[in-house]
Amino acid sequence: MFSLREALIGLKRNGVMTFIAIGIMFFSLFLLGAFLWGTFNLFGIINLAREKVEINAFLRENLPEKQVEELEGKLMSMVGVERVEYVSKEEALDKFQEEIKDAPSLLEAIKTNPLPPSFSIKLKDGFTSPEKVEEISEKINIFDEFIAVEYGKSWIKRLDRVVKILFLFDILLGIVISFASVFVVSNTIRLTVLARKRTIEVMKLVGATEKTVHTPFILAGAIEGGVAAAMSAGLLYLIYQLTSKFFVEFSFPHNFITIGTIAFGITLGMIGSKLAVKTTSKEMRFESTDV
Amino acid sequence: MIEIRNVSKKFKKGWYALKNVDLSIAKGDFLFLTGQTGSGKTTLLRLIYMDLFPDEGEVAVAGFLSSTIKEEEIPFLRRRIGIIFQDFKLLKDKTVYENVAFALEVTGQSGRKMREKVMKALTLVGLSHKRNDFPYTLSGGEQQKTAIARALVREPFILLADEPTGNIDPEGSEEIIKILQEVNTAGTAVLMATHDIALAKKMGGRFINLEQGQLTTK
Repeated sequence: MFSLREALIGLKRNGVMTFIAIGIMFFSLFLLGAFLWGTFNLFGIINLAREKVEINAFLRENLPEKQVEELEGKLMSMVGVERVEYVSKEEALDKFQEEIKDAPSLLEAIKTNPLPPSFSIKLKDGFTSPEKVEEISEKINIFDEFIAVEYGKSWIKRLDRVVKILFLFDILLGIVISFASVFVVSNTIRLTVLARKRTIEVMKLVGATEKTVHTPFILAGAIEGGVAAAMSAGLLYLIYQLTSKFFVEFSFPHNFITIGTIAFGITLGMIGSKLAVKTTSKEMRFESTDV
Repeated sequence: MIEIRNVSKKFKKGWYALKNVDLSIAKGDFLFLTGQTGSGKTTLLRLIYMDLFPDEGEVAVAGFLSSTIKEEEIPFLRRRIGIIFQDFKLLKDKTVYENVAFALEVTGQSGRKMREKVMKALTLVGLSHKRNDFPYTLSGGEQQKTAIARALVREPFILLADEPTGNIDPEGSEEIIKILQEVNTAGTAVLMATHDIALAKKMGGRFINLEQGQLTTK
């Protein structure tokens, strides 16, 4: 009770300092939250692209239905295969015609159906790297029923390279932003604690235990961090609301961004205050003009 | 109550703030600790409230020994000692009453009993009528009286005063010393460090003198 009251009085009576601290923390946590949000959506887009990775295995024509079914079963039981879809000659043609519907002259040129039936094979997560896709394709190619197995080799390789670069860049950026925000926030808190050095001094003078000295500052730090983080998450959500019209693929995971940012803000505020008050308290000697 | 046995305290390379000091303070003593600026008075006081520890010798205060006390025990030692300083060390954002009450609140006291203790301490120093004032509205003497009330509210066995009259005019200074003498009459030992030897002599009482870290008179 005493600690909470002291924390609130401290925040209120050092209003300007509190305002500045919350402002700086808000800015740092906003950057961090924006980064997390960006990362989340980046991985969402990468996953979308990865889901497009598929192997097309083209069948010889006029195979008995039973043989096709057996083959489908064999493909399904292969390691890394998520889903197998049979595409008949007719479906292939429909799809093709759909794709070239803007070029009617081409459509007219097709008198017979030249397209073979095929299996469209989706792969599980973790099996979409160029090496894995190639390995699975080779295994599929062993079956005599197929005339060709395709998987867009160069496209997958490019995707893989882009993902690796993005991933590396994201991690580096994450490290820089995390360190910067921890550094800025902890120094800000240190300033607010230093501004109340006299309070620490008096507490120690009249025989307050370490816990009694620390707790009001830790609570104040938690409040400042929590408020700043809630404001950051609020602004991020507002930005999401305003931009969601233009970027329909974007999503806003509340658990991850809102709860994550607030939890991080509170924790950072508490740990920062604890360290600041500890250092200040340790370094402090009852200042005097004499020896 | 307080035993200082053959204590030396070194600062920097080989420079002694205190050298081979022996001193004992009994219950109810009133002692002036005189000496020029830099003679080691503050160091001696800091050794007593264990903000510093001796390099040689030992300090014993109310059953706590400088050689064996643990860091977490220091607050409990401080609760038995009242300390006042030249610069008062009051909290600017608290009223006179709140400043005094603060000393009790940090150890978990509250309620009517606490209020009674605070008012008793404020009455003793003659400041009960200014309990709702903030320190910056008070004179130096009144601020020091507030600090004395804060130091006394825990009913310490000794009051350590480090140049308590350093920032106060001569009239106010005598008033402060008179209050300290009253406190002493009520049973609390007082150790007052001052460079103003004339004032100490005028007010009377036992005094010891420090010169370059060594006691010269007992």
